[in-house]
Amino acid sequence: MANAAELDLRVFKSIRVKAPIERTFAVFTEQMETWWPASHHIGKSPFVAIFIEPRVGGRWFEQNADGAHCDWGKVLAWDAPHRVRLSWHVGPGHDSPDWVADPTLDMAKASEVEIRFRSDGSDATVVELEHSRLERHGEGAEQLREIFDSHGAWSFILAHLAARIDGTPAPVLPPAPEQ
Amino acid sequence: MAIFQKLAAGPMAVNELAGRLPVTRPAVSQHLKVLKDAGLVTDHRDGTRRLYQLDPKGVERLRTHFDRMWSTALNAFQEAAEATLPQDKPGEKHGKRRRT
Repeated sequence: MANAAELDLRVFKSIRVKAPIERTFAVFTEQMETWWPASHHIGKSPFVAIFIEPRVGGRWFEQNADGAHCDWGKVLAWDAPHRVRLSWHVGPGHDSPDWVADPTLDMAKASEVEIRFRSDGSDATVVELEHSRLERHGEGAEQLREIFDSHGAWSFILAHLAARIDGTPAPVLPPAPEQ
Repeated sequence: MAIFQKLAAGPMAVNELAGRLPVTRPAVSQHLKVLKDAGLVTDHRDGTRRLYQLDPKGVERLRTHFDRMWSTALNAFQEAAEATLPQDKPGEKHGKRRRT
Protein backbone atom coordinates (compact mmCIF):
# COMPACT_ATOMS: atom_id res chain seq x y z
CA MET A 1 0.00 0.00 0.00
CA ALA A 2 3.02 2.22 0.31
CA ASN A 3 2.96 5.15 -1.98
CA ALA A 4 5.98 4.95 -4.27
CA ALA A 5 6.75 8.55 -3.44
CA GLU A 6 6.47 8.01 0.29
CA LEU A 7 9.43 9.27 2.22
CA ASP A 8 11.33 6.65 4.15
CA LEU A 9 14.36 8.23 5.70
CA ARG A 10 16.75 5.69 7.16
CA VAL A 11 20.21 5.15 8.56
CA PHE A 12 22.13 1.91 8.12
CA LYS A 13 25.13 0.91 10.21
CA SER A 14 27.24 -2.22 10.29
CA ILE A 15 29.98 -3.13 12.71
CA ARG A 16 32.07 -6.25 13.31
CA VAL A 17 32.54 -7.22 16.94
CA LYS A 18 35.18 -9.67 18.12
CA ALA A 19 32.84 -11.61 20.38
CA PRO A 20 30.55 -14.61 19.85
CA ILE A 21 26.99 -13.92 18.76
CA GLU A 22 25.37 -14.83 22.10
CA ARG A 23 27.58 -12.45 24.04
CA THR A 24 27.24 -9.70 21.46
CA PHE A 25 23.48 -10.00 21.57
CA ALA A 26 23.49 -9.99 25.37
CA VAL A 27 25.68 -6.90 25.64
CA PHE A 28 23.40 -5.09 23.22
CA THR A 29 20.09 -6.04 24.80
CA GLU A 30 20.93 -6.59 28.48
CA GLN A 31 23.81 -4.22 29.16
CA MET A 32 22.87 -1.22 27.13
CA GLU A 33 23.74 1.19 29.94
CA THR A 34 27.39 0.04 29.70
CA TRP A 35 27.80 1.52 26.25
CA TRP A 36 24.96 3.91 25.45
CA PRO A 37 26.35 7.49 25.50
CA ALA A 38 25.58 8.78 28.99
CA SER A 39 24.64 12.21 27.67
CA HIS A 40 21.76 10.69 25.70
CA HIS A 41 19.25 10.28 28.50
CA ILE A 42 15.66 11.33 28.22
CA GLY A 43 14.68 11.62 31.86
CA LYS A 44 15.60 14.63 34.01
CA SER A 45 18.44 12.77 35.69
CA PRO A 46 21.06 10.43 34.15
CA PHE A 47 20.10 6.83 33.56
CA VAL A 48 21.39 4.08 35.81
CA ALA A 49 20.10 1.22 33.66
CA ILE A 50 18.48 0.62 30.29
CA PHE A 51 16.11 -2.30 29.94
CA ILE A 52 14.75 -4.16 26.95
CA GLU A 53 12.15 -6.67 28.07
CA PRO A 54 12.97 -9.83 26.06
CA ARG A 55 9.64 -10.48 24.36
CA VAL A 56 7.42 -9.04 21.66
CA GLY A 57 5.45 -6.21 23.25
CA GLY A 58 8.12 -5.72 25.90
CA ARG A 59 9.16 -2.23 26.97
CA TRP A 60 12.42 -0.49 26.16
CA PHE A 61 13.10 2.07 28.84
CA GLU A 62 15.70 3.84 30.92
CA GLN A 63 15.71 3.88 34.68
CA ASN A 64 16.91 7.21 35.99
CA ALA A 65 18.98 8.10 39.01
CA ASP A 66 15.97 9.84 40.57
CA GLY A 67 13.97 6.60 40.38
CA ALA A 68 11.90 7.58 37.36
CA HIS A 69 11.41 5.38 34.34
CA CYS A 70 11.25 6.74 30.83
CA ASP A 71 10.06 4.69 27.87
CA TRP A 72 12.10 4.75 24.68
CA GLY A 73 10.05 2.24 22.75
CA LYS A 74 8.60 -1.21 22.45
CA VAL A 75 9.81 -4.60 21.26
CA LEU A 76 8.27 -5.30 17.84
CA ALA A 77 10.22 -8.50 17.10
CA TRP A 78 12.41 -10.67 19.30
CA ASP A 79 14.47 -13.51 17.84
CA ALA A 80 17.46 -13.99 20.17
CA PRO A 81 20.32 -13.97 19.37
CA HIS A 82 19.68 -13.04 15.74
CA ARG A 83 17.28 -10.14 15.46
CA VAL A 84 15.51 -7.47 17.47
CA ARG A 85 13.14 -4.83 16.15
CA LEU A 86 12.23 -1.89 18.36
CA SER A 87 10.02 1.12 18.01
CA TRP A 88 11.72 4.44 18.82
CA HIS A 89 9.53 7.12 20.33
CA VAL A 90 12.23 9.63 21.18
CA GLY A 91 12.31 12.80 19.16
CA PRO A 92 12.67 16.54 19.45
CA GLY A 93 9.95 17.98 21.67
CA HIS A 94 7.63 20.84 20.84
CA ASP A 95 8.37 22.91 23.93
CA SER A 96 11.73 21.66 25.09
CA PRO A 97 15.26 21.97 23.78
CA ASP A 98 15.89 18.37 24.87
CA TRP A 99 14.77 15.22 23.20
CA VAL A 100 11.67 13.76 24.73
CA ALA A 101 9.86 10.48 24.55
CA ASP A 102 6.28 10.41 23.33
CA PRO A 103 4.43 9.08 26.40
CA THR A 104 1.54 7.85 24.26
CA LEU A 105 3.90 5.51 22.35
CA ASP A 106 1.96 6.36 19.21
CA MET A 107 3.36 4.20 16.41
CA ALA A 108 2.39 6.82 13.82
CA LYS A 109 4.99 9.14 15.36
CA ALA A 110 7.63 6.47 15.97
CA SER A 111 10.61 5.39 13.93
CA GLU A 112 11.85 1.80 14.04
CA VAL A 113 15.23 0.29 14.82
CA GLU A 114 16.13 -3.19 13.63
CA ILE A 115 19.34 -4.86 14.80
CA ARG A 116 20.55 -8.07 13.16
CA PHE A 117 23.35 -10.27 14.47
CA ARG A 118 25.25 -12.75 12.27
CA SER A 119 28.14 -15.02 13.27
CA ASP A 120 31.39 -14.37 11.44
CA GLY A 121 33.38 -17.43 12.40
CA SER A 122 33.13 -18.72 15.95
CA ASP A 123 34.38 -15.65 17.78
CA ALA A 124 33.11 -12.65 15.85
CA THR A 125 29.72 -11.19 15.04
CA VAL A 126 28.57 -8.79 12.39
CA VAL A 127 25.98 -6.38 13.73
CA GLU A 128 23.75 -4.55 11.29
CA LEU A 129 21.55 -1.73 12.50
CA GLU A 130 18.86 -0.02 10.49
CA HIS A 131 16.92 2.96 11.85
CA SER A 132 14.03 3.62 9.50
CA ARG A 133 11.06 5.99 9.30
CA LEU A 134 13.12 8.88 10.64
CA GLU A 135 10.85 11.34 8.89
CA ARG A 136 8.25 10.64 11.56
CA HIS A 137 10.34 12.80 13.91
CA GLY A 138 9.92 15.81 11.63
CA GLU A 139 7.11 16.99 13.89
CA GLY A 140 9.43 18.54 16.44
CA ALA A 141 11.14 20.44 13.68
CA GLU A 142 11.68 23.67 15.58
CA GLN A 143 13.96 21.90 18.04
CA LEU A 144 15.77 20.01 15.31
CA ARG A 145 17.30 23.22 14.12
CA GLU A 146 18.89 23.90 17.51
CA ILE A 147 20.17 20.36 17.74
CA PHE A 148 21.63 20.43 14.26
CA ASP A 149 23.13 23.85 14.72
CA SER A 150 24.79 22.82 17.96
CA HIS A 151 26.50 19.97 16.17
CA GLY A 152 27.51 22.28 13.37
CA ALA A 153 30.15 21.30 10.90
CA TRP A 154 31.46 18.49 13.05
CA SER A 155 28.43 16.29 12.50
CA PHE A 156 28.65 17.03 8.81
CA ILE A 157 32.23 15.80 8.71
CA LEU A 158 31.51 12.76 10.85
CA ALA A 159 28.52 11.81 8.77
CA HIS A 160 30.52 11.90 5.59
CA LEU A 161 33.36 10.00 7.16
CA ALA A 162 30.86 7.39 8.36
CA ALA A 163 29.32 7.24 4.92
CA ARG A 164 32.72 6.52 3.39
CA ILE A 165 33.56 3.83 5.89
CA ASP A 166 30.16 2.23 6.00
CA GLY A 167 29.02 2.74 2.42
CA THR A 168 25.94 4.32 3.90
CA PRO A 169 23.48 5.14 1.13
CA ALA A 170 22.48 8.70 0.50
CA PRO A 171 19.15 9.69 2.05
CA VAL A 172 16.15 8.46 0.17
CA LEU A 173 14.54 11.45 -1.42
CA PRO A 174 11.31 11.50 -3.37
CA PRO A 175 11.31 11.31 -7.14
CA ALA A 176 10.34 14.31 -9.19
CA PRO A 177 6.76 15.34 -8.57
CA GLU A 178 3.97 14.37 -10.91
CA GLN A 179 1.95 17.35 -11.98
CA MET B 1 4.78 15.01 10.67
CA ALA B 2 1.94 14.19 8.32
CA ILE B 3 2.73 17.34 6.36
CA PHE B 4 6.36 16.38 6.16
CA GLN B 5 5.29 12.99 4.84
CA LYS B 6 2.85 14.40 2.30
CA LEU B 7 5.45 16.77 0.92
CA ALA B 8 7.57 13.75 0.04
CA ALA B 9 5.24 13.29 -2.94
CA GLY B 10 6.39 16.63 -4.32
CA PRO B 11 5.78 20.37 -4.04
CA MET B 12 2.30 21.32 -2.84
CA ALA B 13 0.28 24.40 -2.04
CA VAL B 14 -1.34 24.93 1.36
CA ASN B 15 -4.80 24.19 -0.06
CA GLU B 16 -3.72 20.84 -1.49
CA LEU B 17 -2.10 19.84 1.78
CA ALA B 18 -5.14 20.83 3.82
CA GLY B 19 -7.34 18.83 1.46
CA ARG B 20 -5.32 15.69 2.17
CA LEU B 21 -5.13 16.05 5.91
CA PRO B 22 -7.71 16.14 8.67
CA VAL B 23 -6.58 19.59 9.79
CA THR B 24 -7.56 23.14 8.98
CA ARG B 25 -5.76 25.33 6.51
CA PRO B 26 -4.47 27.71 9.23
CA ALA B 27 -3.07 24.71 11.10
CA VAL B 28 -1.29 23.58 7.94
CA SER B 29 0.11 27.07 7.43
CA GLN B 30 1.33 27.20 11.01
CA HIS B 31 3.04 23.83 10.73
CA LEU B 32 4.61 24.77 7.39
CA LYS B 33 6.08 27.87 9.01
CA VAL B 34 7.65 25.70 11.70
CA LEU B 35 9.07 23.33 9.13
CA LYS B 36 10.35 26.25 7.07
CA ASP B 37 11.99 27.89 10.10
CA ALA B 38 13.60 24.57 10.91
CA GLY B 39 15.05 24.38 7.43
CA LEU B 40 13.14 21.21 6.53
CA VAL B 41 10.98 22.75 3.81
CA THR B 42 11.39 25.58 1.34
CA ASP B 43 8.78 27.51 -0.59
CA HIS B 44 8.66 29.31 -3.88
CA ARG B 45 6.09 31.13 -5.95
CA ASP B 46 4.55 29.35 -8.94
CA GLY B 47 2.30 31.82 -10.71
CA THR B 48 -0.34 32.77 -8.17
CA ARG B 49 0.38 29.85 -5.87
CA ARG B 50 3.04 29.36 -3.24
CA LEU B 51 4.43 25.86 -3.34
CA TYR B 52 6.11 24.12 -0.44
CA GLN B 53 8.59 21.30 -0.81
CA LEU B 54 11.05 19.32 1.30
CA ASP B 55 14.50 20.84 1.51
CA PRO B 56 16.95 18.01 0.75
CA LYS B 57 19.56 19.72 2.90
CA GLY B 58 17.21 19.85 5.87
CA VAL B 59 16.21 16.24 5.39
CA GLU B 60 19.87 15.30 5.23
CA ARG B 61 20.45 17.06 8.56
CA LEU B 62 17.71 15.00 10.16
CA ARG B 63 19.29 11.82 8.86
CA THR B 64 22.78 13.00 9.79
CA HIS B 65 21.76 13.48 13.37
CA PHE B 66 20.72 9.85 13.72
CA ASP B 67 23.71 8.70 11.70
CA ARG B 68 26.03 10.43 14.13
CA MET B 69 24.16 9.15 17.17
CA TRP B 70 24.45 5.52 16.06
CA SER B 71 28.10 5.90 15.04
CA THR B 72 28.91 7.02 18.56
CA ALA B 73 26.71 4.41 20.20
CA LEU B 74 27.89 1.46 18.11
CA ASN B 75 31.56 2.27 18.58
CA ALA B 76 31.01 2.26 22.33
CA PHE B 77 28.96 -0.92 22.00
CA GLN B 78 31.79 -2.64 20.12
CA GLU B 79 34.22 -1.77 22.91
CA ALA B 80 31.82 -3.00 25.57
CA ALA B 81 31.10 -6.27 23.79
CA GLU B 82 34.77 -6.99 23.19
CA ALA B 83 35.63 -6.11 26.78
CA THR B 84 33.02 -8.39 28.31
CA LEU B 85 34.69 -11.09 30.36
CA PRO B 86 34.07 -14.69 29.27
CA GLN B 87 32.57 -15.55 32.67
CA ASP B 88 30.02 -12.79 32.24
CA LYS B 89 27.48 -15.15 30.75
CA PRO B 90 24.71 -13.93 28.50
CA GLY B 91 21.41 -13.72 30.30
CA GLU B 92 23.01 -13.09 33.65
CA LYS B 93 21.70 -10.02 35.39
CA HIS B 94 24.01 -7.64 37.15
CA GLY B 95 23.47 -6.75 40.77
CA LYS B 96 22.31 -3.25 40.00
CA ARG B 97 19.66 -4.48 37.61
CA ARG B 98 16.20 -5.10 38.84
CA ARG B 99 13.16 -6.42 37.12
CA THR B 100 10.40 -3.91 37.31
